[in-house]
Amino acid sequence: MTMALDGIKVLELCGERGQLMGKLMGDMGATVIKIEPIGGVKERNIGPFKDDIPNKNRSLYFWANNTSKQSVELDITSSEGSNILKNLSKNVDIILEDMKPGYLTTLGLDYTELSKENPALIMTSLTAFGQDGPYRDYKSTDIVALAMGGQMHSCGYDDLPGSPPIRPWGDHGNYIASHYALLGTLSALIYRDLSGKGQYIDASAHEACSSTTEAALPTYLYSPHGVVSRQTGRHHAVTPTSKTLCKTVDGKYLIVFRIFMDLSSWISLVKWMDSYGMAEDLGDQKFKDMAARRTAGSEDADYAMEVLRKFITTQTAEDVYRKAQQLRFPWGIVRSPEENLNDPHFSEDRGMFAEIAHPELGKDVLIKYVGRPYNFKGTPWNATRPPLSGEHTEAILENELNYSSDQLNSLVSKNIIGSA
Amino acid sequence: MNKPFSSIPLNKGALSGLRVIDFSWIVAGPTNTRILGDFGAEVIKIENEASLDYCRGFVGPDADGSPNKSPLHSTLNRNKKSITLNVMHPQGMEYLKELISISDVIVENFSSRVLEKWGLGYEEQKKIKPDIIYCSMSGFGHSGRDRDFVTWGPTAQAISGLTYMSGLPGEESAGWGFSYMDHTGGFYGALAILMALKHRNKTGQGQHLDLSQVEAGIGLTGTPVLDYTVNGRPFRRSDMPPGNRSPERGFAPHNSYQCKGEDRWCVISVTDENEWELLVQAMDTPKWSNNKKFDSMENRLVNQVELDKLINLWTLNFSPREIMKFLQEKGVPCGAIQTPPERVDEDEQLIHRGFISSIPHSELGSIKVESIPMKMSETPWDLRLSAPLLGEHSAEVYLDLLGIPGEQLGTMYEEGIA
Repeated sequence: MTMALDGIKVLELCGERGQLMGKLMGDMGATVIKIEPIGGVKERNIGPFKDDIPNKNRSLYFWANNTSKQSVELDITSSEGSNILKNLSKNVDIILEDMKPGYLTTLGLDYTELSKENPALIMTSLTAFGQDGPYRDYKSTDIVALAMGGQMHSCGYDDLPGSPPIRPWGDHGNYIASHYALLGTLSALIYRDLSGKGQYIDASAHEACSSTTEAALPTYLYSPHGVVSRQTGRHHAVTPTSKTLCKTVDGKYLIVFRIFMDLSSWISLVKWMDSYGMAEDLGDQKFKDMAARRTAGSEDADYAMEVLRKFITTQTAEDVYRKAQQLRFPWGIVRSPEENLNDPHFSEDRGMFAEIAHPELGKDVLIKYVGRPYNFKGTPWNATRPPLSGEHTEAILENELNYSSDQLNSLVSKNIIGSA
Repeated sequence: MNKPFSSIPLNKGALSGLRVIDFSWIVAGPTNTRILGDFGAEVIKIENEASLDYCRGFVGPDADGSPNKSPLHSTLNRNKKSITLNVMHPQGMEYLKELISISDVIVENFSSRVLEKWGLGYEEQKKIKPDIIYCSMSGFGHSGRDRDFVTWGPTAQAISGLTYMSGLPGEESAGWGFSYMDHTGGFYGALAILMALKHRNKTGQGQHLDLSQVEAGIGLTGTPVLDYTVNGRPFRRSDMPPGNRSPERGFAPHNSYQCKGEDRWCVISVTDENEWELLVQAMDTPKWSNNKKFDSMENRLVNQVELDKLINLWTLNFSPREIMKFLQEKGVPCGAIQTPPERVDEDEQLIHRGFISSIPHSELGSIKVESIPMKMSETPWDLRLSAPLLGEHSAEVYLDLLGIPGEQLGTMYEEGIA
């Protein structure tokens, strides 16, 4: 079956900030050629590693973010290497890069240069702060992006005195940046279908993060006193709200909110608690009135929440989650990521996890990955294992640029290309 | 094959001429269609006074019951149109179907059976417009045993594992202080639509895009899931999540540090020996910095608790933005943990890039919104429409687009069709 991005050819010169873009395109059918320095990109050194053995081809962090790509090791800082990149770029639709602003210009590999022979080229530069402006040359990492972009101001604890704002772990500054830059890139691809024109996109991770903080900016923009503060496990707010984390008998947590959402859900909830003799006085009419009116933020609401919290302490997380969802409460179990592998809705019914062949580790080795983030009913999602560093150098130079094996050997000996 | 969009391009945006029927509400769906509208699509929000977008109600006490004064709604729904239409009225449904027949994309983020109940599932949509792209954005998707479960942003964050992955080791989860998965669910909805459009341009075929907010969240947990399936190591263990430290990269110092002022903080993230030397020089080479305990990345990592305390004694003397500017000038990765006022009023970079834009609005005076986070050379972003008043574009859509005679419009309002 045709894949959605079949026939689209991408050159990726990305590290941690932009690598997700190439993965998302490759998993949907684009041909993605990742250009790596000799020895491979830095992300190959980030743990954890398979069997905890550090090796550039065993980084699980690299694996998770680089499926469905081919790898070419190429020293683009050499003039021969930069020429090879120029030649490769003549025949691609898209270049994705996340290097320091202006760096590719110093190598003669900027959009002005590369689009001369490929005017329909789309090139996306995803940098920390953009191609211009006073912070253009500031250094950034994921935590710097999430600090300056506002995520950290909104995340953390209100009941742990002296505790810092928290960076939600897991590369989300990089992910937010990649998501937005890929959206721009794809829109340019659609535009090109109709206009024939390529274009250059100057995307900023700082702006992407800054526009991904929900109510934080709108609240302030309309009221000078509207500054939200962080609260444990729940939404930032100008005035404190009730705690939503509830501990369960098996030591896990649920987030519990919107308890006064509608009358029939409330009545069923109280009945359920009552069957354990733990409803206390929640059967009173005043609480029914609150449910019918969707009351929140009162002393009575806080009291009801505490009675409910005591009840939940006696139940397992999975039980409360399933029972509450059946009553239409949008409560969620606070799972550790691996716990979804055992949830049959995702693992069996929806096929959310994908077994990907790793023949380099043995003939029949299949490794289970997180699979498709969306379910296209008309075109497949299909990921292949991430490339070994330099795995496709020779094949791509042969097939795309007709290099002979003598020429390839010479480039290897000069350290201009590397292969697996 | 280049298939033209349903409407005539009227702006400079990449998607100009694309018409989107938008049933979405609250945050996740409107984030998706905000992106499409920002790229130039004509997004028509289908609304009904009987079941208003909750976000229209997120207002201050001076809103006087108006549905048009919500700050959050305004930023999420700029560059869109709004019509009122009652899908429960047979005539309303007829008009809706006419509208679908001249549109390209349908977006909704209701729970998973709503459009089927309306008689407007994908098979029905296809009969009206064979190449329609239908993007549904429910919590758990349109198939599977838990398809009727419901999510808000925090629910999806909790189930996917994102909440658990945020916090200090040994403490409760800090989680996300906002609906990150409403934003990200919206991103994935728009990514899917753009990819499906690319496919439609080539093949002429539309399709149903069955999004699940939880699955989009699970998609962001690739590394910890592999650590479990490959190494058998669960993320649920005593040293994880690592707070603001970075054990996976082995960087130290890498943390948040207290600054001058109440509850003020910065982050410093040293990624190599050169940056460490620059940091030491910036701190005026304190005596402790020569200690063997800190002379390599490995040693700093082992001794990072002590290291962080020592650095904290220095950062306490400055404001977060003072530290940021001072260290960045020296070449050390560092950032202020910026408050919303700092991002709006003091961040010279965001100001330089024109990050906050405004446009007149008849009830709020003007709306102030975040622009898109990129500059596009051929299809620049344009704030061409303010957030729509409820039903602001009903007349335009019913009269100009559907060709309904003007005298009929009054009857449509009276009979509760529009």
